[in-house]
Amino acid sequence: MSVKKISLKRELPTTTLSGFALSGLLVLTILNILLQNMPSKIQTAGDALLKLNATEGVANAVTTVVVFFRGFDTLGEIAVLFIASLGIGLMLHSNSKCNIKAESNFMLQTASKLLFPIILLFGTYVMIYGHLSPGGGFQGGVIIASGVLLLLISHKAFEVPHSVIVALETFAGVSYVLIGLIGLLVLDVFLGNFLPHDISQMGLLLSGGIIPLVYIIVGIKVGSEMSMIVQNLIQRDHDV
Amino acid sequence: MSSILFIALPLLFGFATPILSKFGKNGVAYTSMIMQLFLLALAVSLLTTTSSYVEIISIAPPLGISFVLNSASLFFVLLFTLLMTLFSLYYLIHRKTDAYKDETKFFILLNMLLAAAIGLVLSSDIFNIYVFFEIAGISAYILSAYKKTSSALEAGLKYLLTGAVASVFLVFAIALIYINIGSLNLAVIAHSFEALPYNIKLLISILLLIGFGFKVEIFPLNFWVTDVYQGSSSLVNALFSGIVVKAYLFVFFHILYLFLPNGDFTVFLVYLGAISMLVAEIVGLRQTNLKRLFAYSSLGQVALIFTAFAMQNKDAIQAALFIVFSHSVAKFIIFLVLSAIEKEHKSIHIDTLKALNSSFLRAIMLIAMLSLLGIPLFAGFIGKFLALKSFAVEGLFVVLAIIIIGSLIEAVYYFKLAGFMFAKGEKREPLKIALAQKTLFGLLAFSLILIGIAPITISGFLLDASSVMLDGKSYVSMLVGG
Amino acid sequence: MFEFFNQPEVIKTIVTLGSMLLFFVGLFGLLTRKHIIKIFISIAIMETSIFLLFIGLTFKTDFIAPILDKIHLDVSTMNDPIPHAMILTAIVIGMAVLALGVSFAIEYFKLTGKTDIDEMSEMRH
Repeated sequence: MSVKKISLKRELPTTTLSGFALSGLLVLTILNILLQNMPSKIQTAGDALLKLNATEGVANAVTTVVVFFRGFDTLGEIAVLFIASLGIGLMLHSNSKCNIKAESNFMLQTASKLLFPIILLFGTYVMIYGHLSPGGGFQGGVIIASGVLLLLISHKAFEVPHSVIVALETFAGVSYVLIGLIGLLVLDVFLGNFLPHDISQMGLLLSGGIIPLVYIIVGIKVGSEMSMIVQNLIQRDHDV
Repeated sequence: MSSILFIALPLLFGFATPILSKFGKNGVAYTSMIMQLFLLALAVSLLTTTSSYVEIISIAPPLGISFVLNSASLFFVLLFTLLMTLFSLYYLIHRKTDAYKDETKFFILLNMLLAAAIGLVLSSDIFNIYVFFEIAGISAYILSAYKKTSSALEAGLKYLLTGAVASVFLVFAIALIYINIGSLNLAVIAHSFEALPYNIKLLISILLLIGFGFKVEIFPLNFWVTDVYQGSSSLVNALFSGIVVKAYLFVFFHILYLFLPNGDFTVFLVYLGAISMLVAEIVGLRQTNLKRLFAYSSLGQVALIFTAFAMQNKDAIQAALFIVFSHSVAKFIIFLVLSAIEKEHKSIHIDTLKALNSSFLRAIMLIAMLSLLGIPLFAGFIGKFLALKSFAVEGLFVVLAIIIIGSLIEAVYYFKLAGFMFAKGEKREPLKIALAQKTLFGLLAFSLILIGIAPITISGFLLDASSVMLDGKSYVSMLVGG
Repeated sequence: MFEFFNQPEVIKTIVTLGSMLLFFVGLFGLLTRKHIIKIFISIAIMETSIFLLFIGLTFKTDFIAPILDKIHLDVSTMNDPIPHAMILTAIVIGMAVLALGVSFAIEYFKLTGKTDIDEMSEMRH
């Protein structure tokens, strides 16, 4: 029976030190360059877009930029979220009924039943009033998804019905692209603003043409997809 | 007919899939095929437009996003739609015996990948390019891990990790560009990029190089490529090497020619490309797994295209476009044949090549490999010859020598492969290939021979495309002045 | 003393220092940690630091938020709305990619039980 020799000298953690040195060097050079080039007041594209915002008749300029001036980026981002939700469903979807979730606290069960409608209402409000005050589709959708998350962790038997989510997603996605194509037909510009958007209507709920419509569609899509992602990540068919 | 349809139709198809799947088991597959045929017809019809034009989205550039369709982007759009249509055709027959489960998701991912690749090539706004990078990337990660075996999941994980790190550097570069220049339109940035102070220009260029470098597969940022190709199924590898990496190459060099038209980094990039090719070919020499071997060959060819593009003169870019065409078609053939072998024999060791018992398939593989090597009478020869000529004209004899050594090493292992293919070993039963698939392979191989014998058919178009790519000034005036 | 900290240059320097510190933490974690979930968290920290840097450097402290109403109608004193829109998009995209990555890691762990990135060698080199 041989005695294993244990070295008493602590080894030098080479990977940690070299990682520290390398990343420190990198960050210090970047910091040096950034501190020498503090941004001065230049005329950015955003200032020009702020002046254009009045022609759309929407109070929240960030919403106009997100939905209209850069609406194509928002369409791409919706596509990314859609594909990610598809991929997570592909990886983690289990058809078995058994899911192991611990039985939750009595306080949590009662409180969540009270809070869920309020969260849902608040999320819908943020979504619909996105063009008048800070907020919008993404923010409202995530709030609704957090309400669904609350219900999922507090009630063992709660399950978001798959067919409802798929129907909402399909409706929202197809209508977003169709609005863009209608803009192409009517105004010869993809995602053009073809509904009336008079500046005199600014501050009212029905203003800005297609902008509140598109943001509500975005909100429905984001809310349903985030709920699906959250549910796929929580439900498990056996203990991991 | 607007070029937005290239993006809007696949997105519409993707979102509407649950409706389309109500039309029976094959509803999604056939509608996808029909839509891609329509896009191919649209791309061919756009060949008749003579001048570049700008497609406006929402509001006019330079404040809004726009698409620019010129002969360079049209070449890539044609290539991508053609390859994707042929891929769908191949898959429609392949699925009769070996379908993926949950197939509607597979078609959605294919169409999103096509839309993102075309969007990368057409877009003229740097943040829009970033969004399309993410769409293409996320579709590629899921396609890579589709089979859900442990090696497929590992490939998907590695691909996702490197893609996410590349995105961080890209966002950093875009943030610095907006802070210092104030616009996201490529034309406005190109106009003001020269005037920036030297150190911030250097920082932005290096960040862009690192961010793009992961995706364009140059040394030393290409450690992920071979593992990803080995873990994914060969069908998906055909898409990666034929469509995805070509779109990334075009975006990288389009931005380089716009931002640095005086060729500040030319020498560095040319040497980087040449070294990447040499390293890839040397390591590929001792591989015995066929998918990994062809992944190293793909790395070498992509490095050659990178070197030719980096020369930044008209003839070198024309050579690079020739190699883009011949490499995409040849790798498509090779990976589709590999997928047929994989379906039958479930192993991709180099000995499996002995099982290629149909002489038709052996001829097709031989044509593809000879074209990749650059043997005269095949399409790859024209590209390689023009590239080597442009290196010699510029006096870069070291680069010339490195590329020739790399090509010789590649020839060594291709001849080894050919030896296995034509070996008189034990006879297994021949692979079952449908007639339609044989026609497809024949068509692709015929195009390689056709371009090899008569390159004059597309050389004028490619010369025009290369001069358009280099002409940054007219691009800028088209978007800012007009 | 607080007037000194209210100057735009000082605020921008502090923002740059802080976000670069976060970027350093994320980069250090990315390079040295082996557990896959820690690598994902490091990537998330790096992304967040870039967003902080961007918003911090494009924010003008004496201007107001870009929302028009009956009393605020003058756009020349409003902040730039484009960085807000870009960061919104970038946050959602980053979150989607990381969520997908976590699901890949979960499935991989279910199949093989490995989480160490050095041990992921299903494919022999």
